[in-house]
Amino acid sequence: MRNTRIRRIVLDTGIAAAVVIAMGVARGVYSNELMLFNFIIFLALAQGLNIIYGFTGYLPFGYVGFYGAGAYGFALVVMHLHAPALIGMAAAGVAALVLAVILLPLLRLSGAYFAIASMAAAQAVYEIVANPDLEDITKGPYGVSLADVFAPAFSYYTALAILAATLLLVVWLRNSRFGMSLQAIRDDSISAAMAGVSVVRGRTIAWLLSALIAGLVGGVFAWHISVFYPDTAFDLSVSIFATVFLLFGGATTLCGPLLGVFILYGIYNVIGIAVPQYFQFTYGALIVLLVLFLPNGLVSLLTSRGIRVP
Amino acid sequence: MRSKALLLGLLCAVAAQTARAQPPAPAEIKIGALYASSGPYASISMPVSAGFRLWVDQTNANGGAEVKAFGKKIPLKLIAYDDQSSTATAATLYNQLITRDHVDLLIADSGSVLTSVGVPIAKEHKQFLFDVSGTGAAFFTDDNPYVALMADPVSTIWPHYISDFLADDGAKAGIKTVAILFSTNDFTGTQAAALKGFFEKDGKVKVVYYQGVPTTTSNYTVLINNIAAVNPDAVLELGYVGNDIAFLRNLQDSGNQFRFVFSIYAGVEKEEIEKNVGASALTHIYTYVPPSNYEYVPEVGMTQKEFHAAWDKKYPPGSNVTFGANAVYGYMTGLVVERALATAKSLDQMDIHDAVFALSGKLKTLDGTFILRKDGAQIGEVTPLGQLQPEGKDALTLVAVYPPDMANGKAVIGK
Repeated sequence: MRNTRIRRIVLDTGIAAAVVIAMGVARGVYSNELMLFNFIIFLALAQGLNIIYGFTGYLPFGYVGFYGAGAYGFALVVMHLHAPALIGMAAAGVAALVLAVILLPLLRLSGAYFAIASMAAAQAVYEIVANPDLEDITKGPYGVSLADVFAPAFSYYTALAILAATLLLVVWLRNSRFGMSLQAIRDDSISAAMAGVSVVRGRTIAWLLSALIAGLVGGVFAWHISVFYPDTAFDLSVSIFATVFLLFGGATTLCGPLLGVFILYGIYNVIGIAVPQYFQFTYGALIVLLVLFLPNGLVSLLTSRGIRVP
Repeated sequence: MRSKALLLGLLCAVAAQTARAQPPAPAEIKIGALYASSGPYASISMPVSAGFRLWVDQTNANGGAEVKAFGKKIPLKLIAYDDQSSTATAATLYNQLITRDHVDLLIADSGSVLTSVGVPIAKEHKQFLFDVSGTGAAFFTDDNPYVALMADPVSTIWPHYISDFLADDGAKAGIKTVAILFSTNDFTGTQAAALKGFFEKDGKVKVVYYQGVPTTTSNYTVLINNIAAVNPDAVLELGYVGNDIAFLRNLQDSGNQFRFVFSIYAGVEKEEIEKNVGASALTHIYTYVPPSNYEYVPEVGMTQKEFHAAWDKKYPPGSNVTFGANAVYGYMTGLVVERALATAKSLDQMDIHDAVFALSGKLKTLDGTFILRKDGAQIGEVTPLGQLQPEGKDALTLVAVYPPDMANGKAVIGK
């Protein structure tokens, strides 16, 4: 039994390491660095969403709120305190955590109510950041420029480190007692509580971890892109893409979100560049087919046959 | 022995000559560009793209562009991607053009938002960015030689004539108060702040209402009533095409009347706005007079009339793009590219930079005089203040009313 668990952990860690190494090596092979960077961003975001949705069943449509908070946490510290980028990254994480703590009461909701409330919360944060009256602080709707800390290579590898940490976190959740307790809460919170699982504590930790990842990803995005507007940092399509990638591949697994990002974001880039006019049609058709025939994601092709997917 | 030495000398001479020779001329000059066929920026992006394509097609029909570096005409190959008004997509596509397609020249998408992501990417890759109409002041810094604004001036320059006119002719006609309503984006927000500063500095006209609203605003009814409540003599509405259409429609429906009403796109995209709000809502509205409605005398390229005719031939009525200032901006960018290629020592990006900056103050086109500040900001091509005045039944003409040396009509200020 113990050997099986160790084998699983080694396999899961090996997959995570392979992805991180591949993305690191890709930078030296493929020259469109920003495309690779976006892959890393979505790989990490989809896994961050996996932690809160896959393991607890809460699907926050407003996940981009944490991402935007991280981007602006980074920007504010760099702009006003002239702090180095790594301090900005810490501020990005803190900003997302503070927002997550403020939004903790949302966890009292569930299902569609939670999803919509989280989206409204993200919109509220956007409106605050983009308020022209706060121009002196956030630059309001006019966007920020962080040219002083622009460092594409450093920020790329920082994003890679965040991805590595996120993947390891998911590996741990997949193979730990805590991860099991989260899944028990997701499946039946009352039974889990009666079995001695602290439901509130479990959900809170998952929520904070998920927010932290989005915040750090938002921070590294701000660092890498260096010029952005509130519309970019709080773009709802970031939430939508991360959610679709997660659901396409299959939640609660390590490989599901990875497959979702590599396949769908890959198609997005190929079609988006070559024949953008067919993009929405192709993407829409893919998602409709998935919902109709594989509602639990691609990995369900194997899991429905009793095969464990890392 | 002597013939061997002669042969050796000859070989050395040939080798030296070969080493000094230019690299072989490319079969084509690759120009990378972005456009937005959908989303909030499509209305300004598509005419720019169409204007630029018109220049490319015209140039290729004449055998290509004259490239001084190779001493011959070389055909142009346009690689254009659709960013769908998304900054994330635009950033990836700028990278694609530079790192995968290895374009010789890089043209930004229209407007500040879609240009913004291209500026740091171009700088990082040391690729000169032809910024068509991204007027954001943050793009132009002394430490970045890889960007220059082509076709319209930076936002702080645009509204100068409005404040001068109101402080001059307006004050004489009794205009003492002004309301400024603006969309909170780089282009219009910067103009609003500049105007407020001008009025406060002059002290002749008092700002009694100053309000920013999201660029997505599509109903101005309440805002117009709020403005009417403070009873200003002049109302300046600064927005994008969609904002101006909504504002002008709502203003007409509300029945409120002000002595002086200004809207940017009433003149800048006259055909588009007139199509959407009708001539009656536009009568006596003040606006900028764009190069699509003003006859500059060009020394390079077509005149405005010739360009309009060429446009109508290529994009006949019913096409998805309408003629306006942005169409001129696209064509004008082509003219800068043309002159830069004709004078640059090589296709090295700093040589392109030098060639573009050398045109400053010398290039006169249908868009006025091209003048660059040393940081790349455009300070020429300033648009005069104009007014839409009735011309016969249900028709409007856009006349320039200020400054006096550019005026071709007289301003009518409401009672």
